[in-house]
Amino acid sequence: MKRLKPLNAKAELLVTAAVEGTVEEVYLMQNMAGCTTTLDPGWEVDPFGGVSSLCQPMEADLYGCADPCWWPAQVADTLNTYPDWNDGAPSASRDWRLLQSVFPTDK
Amino acid sequence: MAKKIVLLAAAGLLALGLGVSAGQADDFILTGVKPGKLVLIDAKAREIVKVHDIPNSAPGVLTITPSPDGKIAYALVNRWESISGIDLESGEEVFRADMSSGDERVKGLVAMDIAPDGSELAVFQSAVKLGLGEYEVQPTRIAFYDPKAGKGAKPTRTIPAPRQIVLMMYSKDGSKLYALGRDVFAIDPKDGKILETFKTQSWDRPNFYPPDIIDVWSQWEQSGIFSTPYYTARSDMDLSDPAAYWTGMLTLDLASGEFKLREVENTEVFYFSTVVNPVRRNEAYGVYNTVAKLDLDAGKSLGSTELDHSYYDVNVASDGSEIYIGGTMGNIAIYSTETLERIGNIEMPGGADMALASLRIIQR
Repeated sequence: MKRLKPLNAKAELLVTAAVEGTVEEVYLMQNMAGCTTTLDPGWEVDPFGGVSSLCQPMEADLYGCADPCWWPAQVADTLNTYPDWNDGAPSASRDWRLLQSVFPTDK
Repeated sequence: MAKKIVLLAAAGLLALGLGVSAGQADDFILTGVKPGKLVLIDAKAREIVKVHDIPNSAPGVLTITPSPDGKIAYALVNRWESISGIDLESGEEVFRADMSSGDERVKGLVAMDIAPDGSELAVFQSAVKLGLGEYEVQPTRIAFYDPKAGKGAKPTRTIPAPRQIVLMMYSKDGSKLYALGRDVFAIDPKDGKILETFKTQSWDRPNFYPPDIIDVWSQWEQSGIFSTPYYTARSDMDLSDPAAYWTGMLTLDLASGEFKLREVENTEVFYFSTVVNPVRRNEAYGVYNTVAKLDLDAGKSLGSTELDHSYYDVNVASDGSEIYIGGTMGNIAIYSTETLERIGNIEMPGGADMALASLRIIQR
């Protein structure tokens, strides 16, 4: 932290918390604040280190994982921020070409 | 003479059987497809009989809880922030609870059930206060609704609940609400008091590591037994040995409260969910990339068959003769419970994915 300087009030609070030893006072999250609270890279490798125990085909699992924000990085957050991401594409295996990348917008 | 008596008795039983059969209701499969449709299927005829649009439901349907009389389906929709009750005959929305309000965002996280007498609907809620620069996570809770409250329904009461609950099911007499989370809790629905804890993550079984459980599928109505697979490993074995890894079955009898854990096979494949046969109650069926028949009494697999693609959920006919395998993509595969042969297939409307929607059986 010696080489980092806070640039805003929130970062200042974090530095203060670090000094006071209260950084660990965090709340247990549960898929509530967007798609960044779960990190499960199981899409790429199964528990045996292979791929045969992953969903077959990948599209079978796409919406089942995207809708509850199981995958944080690979697909859009339909739970909160991009609820319309798969509008008009009810079948992932047939309609996957309609699925687009999403980008943050200015507030 | 003896032969004649036997024949007469057989004829009488046959007549009795036919009489019962004629009076019995038929099985209907109730599920959902994207972006927000309820689908009702005549199981034996393999025919879709109703498709209803759920208002304001995107991106899809999660948990579906039918009323005990099979007339209304309550579905978690609208990014899991709303419960919509749809009249299965008319398609009319007769119940609506939009759980978020003001600066509080409330998600119903999968776990939902209705009391056996239909008097109240229970849903597990995770709430967060939306601040200007931060979110403040609120304590998790179970909210109860009057299923006949119509649109704009508000909770009649809430009780505290442990975090990370994913499934809830009432005991048969309605006096307990069982909840699957880090352990399985028996909760008093009146005040939230935890009456009993059945240990899973916190188990102290010698020579076994704590188990992994991932199950978000409500499908216990046919046998009255909740079941879920669990995955563990022997702590007294070398973990580089595949024989150290075990698949087990957790069962909870919703009538007697009997809770059982038993290993059934070495872990070579996974099952997302399982269902218990209501007739041959020692048999359970697990699905994912394969469908397997598991003997709960003997603790062993009775065989398996590869599936054409991954499936999440499975339910079973009232006579125990066939299973309905769905979730993920846009079809329900039907397999014989005797032979594990594929005996039918039902395509969803427009080929739409079922994704995480429940697959329930009701009688009409």
